[in-house]
Amino acid sequence: MIETSICQIVFYVFALLAILFAICVVGSRNPVNSAMNMALSFGCVAAILFGLGAQFLGIVQIIVYAGAILVLFLFVVMMLDLKDEERNTGSMRSAAVGTTIAAILAGLITSISLSLPGATEISCPMAAICDNIGELAPGAEATQATPTPGYGGSLPALSPAAAAKAVQPDISDAEAAKATSMQDIRLLGQTLYTQYNIAFVILGFALLSGTVGAVALARKIRKD
Amino acid sequence: MDAICNWWNDLMSNDIWFYLLTTAVKLVIMFALILAFVVLSVWIERRVAGWIQDRPGPNRAGLPLFLLQRFGSKEKQPLKDVLHFFGIPETSRIARLCTWLRLDREIPTFGLMQPCLDGGKLFLKQETTPSYVRKLYFIVAPMLVLGPPMVAAAVLPFASCVDTIYGSISMCVANLDIGPLWIFAISGLSVYGLTLAGWSSNSKYPFLGGLRATAQLISYEVAMGLSVIPLLMMFGTLNLQSIVQYQADNGWTLLPLWGEGLSLQRWVMMLPLGISFLIFVTCVFAEANRTPFDMAECETDLVGGYHTEYSSMKFASFFMGEYAAMVIGSAVVVTLFLGGWSIGFGADAALASYSQWLAVLCQTLMFIVKLLAFIFFFVWVRWTLPRFRWDQVMKLGWLVFLELTVANIFLTAAVLYFVK
Repeated sequence: MIETSICQIVFYVFALLAILFAICVVGSRNPVNSAMNMALSFGCVAAILFGLGAQFLGIVQIIVYAGAILVLFLFVVMMLDLKDEERNTGSMRSAAVGTTIAAILAGLITSISLSLPGATEISCPMAAICDNIGELAPGAEATQATPTPGYGGSLPALSPAAAAKAVQPDISDAEAAKATSMQDIRLLGQTLYTQYNIAFVILGFALLSGTVGAVALARKIRKD
Repeated sequence: MDAICNWWNDLMSNDIWFYLLTTAVKLVIMFALILAFVVLSVWIERRVAGWIQDRPGPNRAGLPLFLLQRFGSKEKQPLKDVLHFFGIPETSRIARLCTWLRLDREIPTFGLMQPCLDGGKLFLKQETTPSYVRKLYFIVAPMLVLGPPMVAAAVLPFASCVDTIYGSISMCVANLDIGPLWIFAISGLSVYGLTLAGWSSNSKYPFLGGLRATAQLISYEVAMGLSVIPLLMMFGTLNLQSIVQYQADNGWTLLPLWGEGLSLQRWVMMLPLGISFLIFVTCVFAEANRTPFDMAECETDLVGGYHTEYSSMKFASFFMGEYAAMVIGSAVVVTLFLGGWSIGFGADAALASYSQWLAVLCQTLMFIVKLLAFIFFFVWVRWTLPRFRWDQVMKLGWLVFLELTVANIFLTAAVLYFVK
């Protein structure tokens, strides 16, 4: 019981901090302050992922976003030596654009969470995954978990078995139980290269075209 | 007494308390080990530098002999008088140990006290903060350089595990399933320290140093991450403790002489693994900002680089951060390529079957010996090779190492698939 309560406290503390730092990113005038707040926010998101048992995703969050992309942001901000921005208030157009983008993002996140298995029966997708853990207990019959009304606020660590069940709802319990011995990296790899293989390859090509474009821009143009 | 024993039993039988207490003890040991090695590597650096350049190096600061001299006269060798005072015969083991430590000479203990005196000097120096710096980041930057290497050390295993009556203790602080990635991610964060130090100093040369550090660290992180993939393909796990256990059972990565290491596949694998080793070690040099890659603090063109404006303990933090990065880098190379704590030739299993605690002790000593050897290598390279030019560093990172590591991954896959 102690473990779950610690998990909950850690989750809520880091979620709150992530939101606070994200607000600071938008709110602070100095671009370097913004960038550093963004780094802290990424760190908090990584901590949440760690708390959910997705260690690989958490560490990749730190390596890719905090360790590389944001450092490049900082690099550019410092190179351009941006001054504190003037407080710009009252532009209807920018407000409208911002609201539209935020609404699209919120819609995307909602649709993804609703597409998780069991999300429509129970009020929280994470709770659905918790119920799957109960189902996977050795010797337990594969009965439909009774949907608990309302989200009780329990967020246990995501076990690989439950995660396997979440990404591949059609696999049998035996296969999912076998997945408990798998690490989350293997699980992620399997999902990416089987279920989402085409999307993955397309994304790879998109990144490749970006790289080729960057090389073409950086190439010295011969004068002849 | 019984009450205390019972209380201790109850406490240790609780899983959570057992975990917390053992982790705290391991944390203290690991932290002390790393800090001691940071200090020791400064001394090794200066002594080896002296040796390579055919000069004595720091040899004046030994154990404070003036304390001993209180017992004896100043002209005569005080050691004899001290021994006489305590009634120890001159031919005894203690006397011979003292002679070996050169306590009877004018220049005692190989100058081993030098780092302590350096530290004291830096601690007592006047702290000057220029008026034109950006204060907050100026203060935070040294912490961001010193902190990450210490945190990264948490996943390094320094011995195998011990079974106690309360449960098994794995001899590394955090036995994560993402060992090498954790080290890359956390030690990669020290780039913030260098960049912010350069920027917040608000002056020309530190800024150039900070920019160089950013570009260099990001470039070499790519090659570093890609160069360990062949190893991970062979081990099939990212848990450092299991990686070292595999090496203890089946031959070190670069010395497959026992267990499954004698198979044809492992010997053919030596080719891609050798390439990986070369690239990884070079990247560790670049990540630790050491010569021949010390572009960020290259004094010939940047005064002192990113730490030009720093003084006293803030400068010392940068200094210690650099050496901590070097120690951690060496430890990672030792863990991934040179067998980590494993004694080798099946001695680990034999020792463990005799006594697990003895095995752990021997393995820790083995790890320390390997670490010292690799730190010596680090220093040797620094005082032998000249510094690269800036564009050469970038070219090496992006045009040579990146392509070579990607090709190496395909080569490894081919070897693993075709050679059985």
